[in-house]
Amino acid sequence: MSGPNILEALDVSDGSRRQDDSPRQLSTVRGPSDTVFRVAAHGGGVLVLSIMTLVGLFLAVRGAEAIASAGPSFLTEQDWEPNSGRFGIAAVLFGTVAIALIAIVVALPLAVGTATYISEYAPLGLRPLLVGIVDLMAAIPSVVYGLWGMFWLEGAILPVAQWISTYFGWIPIFNVPNFNPGDPLATPTVFTASAFLAGLVVAMMVAPVAASIMREVFAQAPIGEREGALALGSTKWGMIRSVVYPFGMGGMIGGAMLGLGRALGETIAVYLVISPVFVIQPHILQTGSNSISSLIALRYGEASPFELSALMAAGLVLFLITMLVNFGAGIIIQRSRSGAAS
Amino acid sequence: MSLQRIPRWGVARVTVALLGLALIASGVFGAAGALPAYAVGTVHSPIVGSGSTWSANALQAWIRNVWANYQWKITYSESGSTQGRNDFANGTSDFGVSEIPYAIANSNEADIRPSREFAYMPIVAGGTAFMYNLEIGGKRVTNLRLSGDTIAKIFTGVITRWDDPQVKVDNPALVLPSIPIVPVVRSDGSGATAQVSIWLRQEHAGLWDAYCPKVGRPLVNDHCGVTSNYPVIPGSGFVARSGSNGVAGYVALPHAVGAITFVEYSYALNSGYPVAKVLNGAGYYTEPTAQNVAVGLLSAQINEDTASPEYLTQDLTNVYTSADPRTYSLSSYSYSILPTALGGSFTENKGLTLADFGAYFLCEGQQSAEVLGYSPLPINLVQAGQKQLQKVPGGNPVIKGITDCNNPTFSPDGSNKLANEAPYPADCDKQGPTQCTTGTGGAKDTPTGAGAATGPGAATAAGDETGAGGGPAAGDGQQASGSEGVLDAETAPVIVAASPQSIPVAAVSLLPSLAMAGFGGGLFAFSAIPPILGKRGRTSLLPDPADGIADTSRGLTRS
Repeated sequence: MSGPNILEALDVSDGSRRQDDSPRQLSTVRGPSDTVFRVAAHGGGVLVLSIMTLVGLFLAVRGAEAIASAGPSFLTEQDWEPNSGRFGIAAVLFGTVAIALIAIVVALPLAVGTATYISEYAPLGLRPLLVGIVDLMAAIPSVVYGLWGMFWLEGAILPVAQWISTYFGWIPIFNVPNFNPGDPLATPTVFTASAFLAGLVVAMMVAPVAASIMREVFAQAPIGEREGALALGSTKWGMIRSVVYPFGMGGMIGGAMLGLGRALGETIAVYLVISPVFVIQPHILQTGSNSISSLIALRYGEASPFELSALMAAGLVLFLITMLVNFGAGIIIQRSRSGAAS
Repeated sequence: MSLQRIPRWGVARVTVALLGLALIASGVFGAAGALPAYAVGTVHSPIVGSGSTWSANALQAWIRNVWANYQWKITYSESGSTQGRNDFANGTSDFGVSEIPYAIANSNEADIRPSREFAYMPIVAGGTAFMYNLEIGGKRVTNLRLSGDTIAKIFTGVITRWDDPQVKVDNPALVLPSIPIVPVVRSDGSGATAQVSIWLRQEHAGLWDAYCPKVGRPLVNDHCGVTSNYPVIPGSGFVARSGSNGVAGYVALPHAVGAITFVEYSYALNSGYPVAKVLNGAGYYTEPTAQNVAVGLLSAQINEDTASPEYLTQDLTNVYTSADPRTYSLSSYSYSILPTALGGSFTENKGLTLADFGAYFLCEGQQSAEVLGYSPLPINLVQAGQKQLQKVPGGNPVIKGITDCNNPTFSPDGSNKLANEAPYPADCDKQGPTQCTTGTGGAKDTPTGAGAATGPGAATAAGDETGAGGGPAAGDGQQASGSEGVLDAETAPVIVAASPQSIPVAAVSLLPSLAMAGFGGGLFAFSAIPPILGKRGRTSLLPDPADGIADTSRGLTRS
């Protein structure tokens, strides 16, 4: 009784297949929970991207007035006197990059060492405690680091700065023009509030962030290769050099660059420590430095509309640089992970 | 009976329940008692202020006092005068505090008067002190003296070392070390900077004008302009820090030997560091004590034109050159910027708080000014300030007269009592070959020792200190006449007049009352509800098995 019906059905299906050979449309009927999840997930992604874009647009629109007024000299002028029409980010940008570089130069060995010790050498019982301490360091608010740098580290670091300047003063960046090592009465005040000090304080904030990324990457170095290296007669340090570091290279670079991104944008700690000057200051041990974010923190509250526009323009530059650094870090981490897995 | 019965209302439970009831009662009656303390139909809304760090120490002390005594919530953020004026103009704060008015003449900055309606009211006087950190042979110097010209040269980068001959002339008794001077200036927009730059422009125009081209500032009306942002020559050894706390904190660092900054006297007192005595028009080096500031400000010209937008603002030209030997040259007033119209977030309730706060500090608050390192306002400014306060919408300030204001400068004849009683400076403070060894500022009790002071003036200090006090100060009972010399009216123990004079009965305010009643209710419920609703309570409502039998038997017998 059902025989002809089946044949008809087959016939129909054959006919349709003959007419057009495209794959059939798969219609998915999603349940309400699926729909809600998809909307939420898509919405979150879109929202983050649109907020980022809007922040950039906002800075560009608000800063347009100042950039238009200053013209190309905005990138080359060192002084910051928006009321006189003379303002540019050359000095503050240089200071920002200098402080960030000092921070990363100090933080990188510190972070690599910490991560290596925790993931390879530390006794198993001690490991969770050390991980906790490093994470805690990352969680300390930056204003606390700033106060620490201002009231304690500055005094403690002066002899170091003096020593570097005395013996390595022939290297231009370590030279301090006002300092005469031969003068027994020379005061160390010429070394206070320097880019070096700000860099050290920022390094203390950057190191834990970089260290926890590196530690996770080191822990992922494959056990087979580790054992292989040891079986071939390698020492533990040899194994770390030949297996852990090559596998973790991407993580090390990525962690350093994420740290750099944070160092570039660090505001309040730098604001508390430095003595702002508006000139390209290549002598990193000498009093006086500056950074874009601390300039904004210092001046936004008291700015006239035009000064505010100039600060927005400076903020736009910082936004772009930080975004570049973070995207670079993201790309490097992504590539290295695919490479490590193969 | 075999069933163990715990009494439903044990001693502990009854106690807790009674305590709960007592708390509810006191909470309710306390709140009822508190209600009449508020003005009829209006409440004291919290207000927010912003501005000067120069006068912040006084304001914060007053704010703590009114909070402790009246529960008026006032938040003051110490962000610098420039930001204070800006925040007020933008409507983000209910009142501003600034050392200079809007749009001050000859300024580098575009500081436009706000569209918001406002009035200036003086809040407190004080001296911009030169706090320093200097050591000679490991011993701290506390008796440094500087002439105005020397200060101007230090802060324009002309004098860069402490052993400069000009500094030596000011300090004949000190063997100054050959170390660099580190001038510490404000990096944020500051009223103290503006006051110093006005002084530099008026009194040391040559030095100030020569400084402008070095820092790339244009001249304003042929002279280097008045500025709130101190310009610094890059690489010159100047240090810039934000906020009064920032500059004072830097100078007070143990390693910052050689640093000097300008900051309100109170910051030097708080950090325990000395301030430089500044040469005044009469040839004496004076310290910015409350008395010296009060004397100096007798020469201040106040704008008395009520129609002027600058009404009550100060012109200090004559203070800089005052011929009274007790004058401190860099004395000035600080101002509050009051809103005179409702609008934005400013409501009548906020006006009530602001006006009452102002009425409090113009009278009672001024008592603590001296202890805090400021100088109380004289009577003419208090009376003018009270008039300004009445313009605040929603306010109903209590205007007090001479008799009940409790301001230490008031005297029945209207003259400034504090200035009348100010001691004359000691002979060793006169310009010349002698120099007092007594300490200054926060290091008052630390005389500069013989190790540092080896010059001819050192010996004359002790004993001479009070010698010149023979003027109007003679009647002051606190004046030490002992041989110590260092004990004068300033070093005598000071009593902190921290509490206002006319506090209403400290009633419990609404929130604590509610909390108390709530807590009592909780306690009562905790103790009373279980016996009533609990299983044990319900079972106890049932007839006891044994009694039940008896009952039934009784019933049976009855029936």
